[in-house]
Amino acid sequence: MSLSRTIRLLPCAAMLFGAVCAVSAAAPRIDVLLSTDNQAARNEGVVYGQALDDLAFLRKATVDMVGRIPTYSDIQQFQQWPPAKRRSMLVDRLLNDKGYADRWTVFFADLLRIRSRAEGGNRLLAHVHKSIATGKPWDIMARELIAASGSASKTPSVGFLLADDSEPMTMAGATAQIFMGVRLACAQCHNHPFDKWRQKQFYELAGFFGKTKQVENRLSKKTYVTEGHDMKVLWPPERRKPKARFAVEPKFPIPLEEYAVKPDYIKRLEALRVGEIIELKKHKESEALDDLIDSVGGQDALGASVEPANLDVTREAKDDIRKLDVQGDLYRRSALRKELGDLITSPKNRYFVRNIINRVWAEMVGRGFYMPIDDYQGEVTHPKTVKYLCDEFIANGYDLRSLFRTIMESEAYARAALGAEIEPEAREGSQAAFASGITRRMVSEVLYDSIVIAGHLQDYKWPKGANVRQFERRVRVPLEIDPEEEAEIKTETTAPLNEMKMPAMPKPSPYNLEQVISLDFEELVKSNLKKDLGRMKAMSDQEIEAKRMAETAKKKKSLRRRYSYKSVTEKIDDNPRFSSSMRMSTPATPSHFLRVFGQPSRDGLGEFREHAPSMRQALMMLNGKATHEASRVGPFEPIHSLLTGNRKNLAKAVELAYLEILTRSPSAGEQSEALAVLGQAPIQGMADLRWALLNSHEFRYLP
Amino acid sequence: MKDTGCLDYHLTRRRMLQATGATILGMPVARLLAAHSKATAKAGHVILFWNSGGMSHIDTWDPKPGRAVQGEFSAINTSADGIQISSIFPNLARQMHHCALVRSVAGTNGAHGRATYELQTSYNMNPSLIHPGLGSIVVHEKDRLGDLPSFISINGQAPKSGYLGQRCAAYYVGEPGEKDPYLAFPAGINQLRGNKRLDLLARMNARATRRTGEVDFKATETAIKEAVALMKSPTLKVFDLDKENPDTLARYGDTDFGRGALLARKLVETGVRFVQVNRGGFDTHSNNFPAMENHGLEMDPALAALIEDLAASGKLDSTLVLVLSEFGRTPRINNNAGRDHHASCFSCLIAGGGVRGGQVIGASDKDAMEPAERPVKPSDLHATVCHALGIDHEKEVYTPQDRPMVLVREGAEPVKELFA
Repeated sequence: MSLSRTIRLLPCAAMLFGAVCAVSAAAPRIDVLLSTDNQAARNEGVVYGQALDDLAFLRKATVDMVGRIPTYSDIQQFQQWPPAKRRSMLVDRLLNDKGYADRWTVFFADLLRIRSRAEGGNRLLAHVHKSIATGKPWDIMARELIAASGSASKTPSVGFLLADDSEPMTMAGATAQIFMGVRLACAQCHNHPFDKWRQKQFYELAGFFGKTKQVENRLSKKTYVTEGHDMKVLWPPERRKPKARFAVEPKFPIPLEEYAVKPDYIKRLEALRVGEIIELKKHKESEALDDLIDSVGGQDALGASVEPANLDVTREAKDDIRKLDVQGDLYRRSALRKELGDLITSPKNRYFVRNIINRVWAEMVGRGFYMPIDDYQGEVTHPKTVKYLCDEFIANGYDLRSLFRTIMESEAYARAALGAEIEPEAREGSQAAFASGITRRMVSEVLYDSIVIAGHLQDYKWPKGANVRQFERRVRVPLEIDPEEEAEIKTETTAPLNEMKMPAMPKPSPYNLEQVISLDFEELVKSNLKKDLGRMKAMSDQEIEAKRMAETAKKKKSLRRRYSYKSVTEKIDDNPRFSSSMRMSTPATPSHFLRVFGQPSRDGLGEFREHAPSMRQALMMLNGKATHEASRVGPFEPIHSLLTGNRKNLAKAVELAYLEILTRSPSAGEQSEALAVLGQAPIQGMADLRWALLNSHEFRYLP
Repeated sequence: MKDTGCLDYHLTRRRMLQATGATILGMPVARLLAAHSKATAKAGHVILFWNSGGMSHIDTWDPKPGRAVQGEFSAINTSADGIQISSIFPNLARQMHHCALVRSVAGTNGAHGRATYELQTSYNMNPSLIHPGLGSIVVHEKDRLGDLPSFISINGQAPKSGYLGQRCAAYYVGEPGEKDPYLAFPAGINQLRGNKRLDLLARMNARATRRTGEVDFKATETAIKEAVALMKSPTLKVFDLDKENPDTLARYGDTDFGRGALLARKLVETGVRFVQVNRGGFDTHSNNFPAMENHGLEMDPALAALIEDLAASGKLDSTLVLVLSEFGRTPRINNNAGRDHHASCFSCLIAGGGVRGGQVIGASDKDAMEPAERPVKPSDLHATVCHALGIDHEKEVYTPQDRPMVLVREGAEPVKELFA
């Protein structure tokens, strides 16, 4: 039976519910395949969701691609484009927007478990941001992370290893889960209870990381990753208490595809990559120690000429150089990890490509082809669709933008969720078949940024002096002054002795759980070697020990001291202005807005975004500073002139509020409700209305 | 015990009696058994000090003086005869007659994520569902007292409430003692205006929920209702430690941990059922001794003051205090002067709630490597807490997918000797 005839014969029971029936004749290939897969799984009787209207699509696509809701001018621009082409024009625009890299850095930061507080964390973050912005293919990004060596200042991708202390067992588990979507980590301690992985296989995988060591240079205090000689991963495992343990032979446990005839998608990949040099660009990274020495024959490095015939002297000289290693910047490349990187990212490794496809699909559509998204158990729900997406992704050179475009151009992406009139079980069935949309909440960074955009808070909306407030600051006043402390204070500050100042904060505000302090990605990507060397300070072991003891003693004293609290008030012009939350230190502190709304701690593997509602979330949105300032109407906002003065038009103001916050026009009922809220004091009333809209379900859950 | 992910349903004697409706002298056995538990239950509240990272047991509760594994600290005598603890706890040593130690906790997981999950939920991680943490179990079974949330987590995230639902989730308090601006309308919004806004929001949300039937929408509305109820509660002033006597603050230590312990006591006094005080920084793979000394400086005064105050006010019997971590640390000191993960034998401190103080349950071997006597499973600790509060740890609940689950993992037995 031909495919087209099959489509026409698909039951249109869904028509009874007024929903769109199955897949149209002109549907993108991906929808045709979804439909085919659904048939094979006997899912063809599911109820289909309505297609999203243009504005709903605009909202969803903008959030998904650039991490914020559309502005009023975005809406106007979109509506001016010809209807038949506007969605694909929108996709083009979004993929080239500067917010694209910001939003997708959040996704990859979650995936790669990037932590600012880890060594090299911020540099890694900036590096990933740049890679996304410049469209670096995913396989190259992965290879860079797995095979990197050196210090974070010159080779930022090494932050991936540094964050977990380059520990082979941790890296093996992480690499398998992050890049290939398999949970091998359990196999570290025993044979996996239900999967086929054996403990020995885990150890063999860890072996690829087995010669990697992390060294902290005592002089420069920098940590760098290099390759040693000895294999640290030994088999059998220690807890078995074996008589002898031997160095493990690194072996890749994942089966690679074999084919008699080279598949088309690999031919297309190779055609794309002809002429490109895939290796890590040498001039951007610090020299590998061996390369340096070998290339100049030990002459320039020593400052004296060495007779090439005299091999012993050369070898001795090289050993001396290796011992010196003053800059802490010379390192050895890892052949093992390069091999691992090549194996993992090989087009023959289906696990690698299936993993990224599943994760991206789940992120954009709301559900993966296998769940949990990092635990492939041998089956996917829609095999033909997954194969198509994987093959195309490889053929396009692992290009992420092409993947995003393919998904956004599908009918499955642009479907609404089913309503309450459909039974929950049927709704679940439709979602599993990707026949209806899946309601999902914005991630925390997107929620924060959308509140900022909706409330015009990215720039000042009040004139100077309009927000002067009295702030109370608590200062601790010690009840007794220690004479030693007194002397210390005298030399450090010129402040009056009976007041100990709290550390300086950017603004005295109790709302620091919503504060954003931006990182400078451009600076972080630059090599900062000179700056780091300048801060060299050599300390002997005894000095370090003495310093530590002095600090402990000081702490002992400070804990015994008694304080009372005093309030200091000051007047500040609290003119609100908020930066994007996508460029701050990540993850945020546990009580910060971002974490409360689900940003993971990234400490463990397999930690996902948590979207369950909580009372804490409610309190932050109801009473938070961001929501409050976003709802207040500032004189510089366009809506202000519709609320007062000679251009006053309350109905238009309500319409603008709905468009700016919910990306749609209000219904007639909503208009009258809103006008009642505006009442006789429209500026105040509008703040009330906007506050409610910002707190509503519809704001934070996508169409 | 291997958690195979499927329910290992074994019929216990008790459950069979309950199921068959057996009676003794006309009273249903089930009710008799339940009544017995409740009658002996002394505790109504729990304070759990969760130390994340794997707290070294030798450097805290199980010193081995004279052995090479002892390390830099010494063992000191305590107010409990024959019991010594680490020298980093000089003040707590004077309160040990109120406390008991379990030195033979036998864990099975050496990885942080898995071990934390097991110690906090009694179950092993399972991809198909999320088990509730101990706090959620307790507040599921005990009525709420007073206005404040029944389960409060200070300075760290408590485990999720899983299939027990959002009602049993922890309320999170970030900085103990700081005034929380989120508990009141922002400046410039008075009560009248604030309430009108809430009404408007409720109407909008009700419409959206009716239209979509989304479960998460309903849950959000419940969260909002609870938030508003909390905002209006007069008991909120308990969070304000500013008015506290400076002497008290000094006794607990004016640190996040000290203030957290003090706040925990005050919360329990207002009726909060379960307070979890979180502390991290115990994963001492390197420089173990300076780190533990620092932990001692902050934890010692706080724990000592807490136990002392609870005992003095007569509240110790009704408040169970538990100091727990996900595993211990290797007796062998590594090349970086640190200790690595060690799950097969570690310790915990338990006091109050009917526990007889001044005793040690179980023992480790001469180097604290393995339990030598009376091994205690992590799930046994959970069963113990339930026993102290009169909760049936074998009670069955149903997940939203209608799967029956027992509150505490099968095979758990409370450590009854603690209450003798």
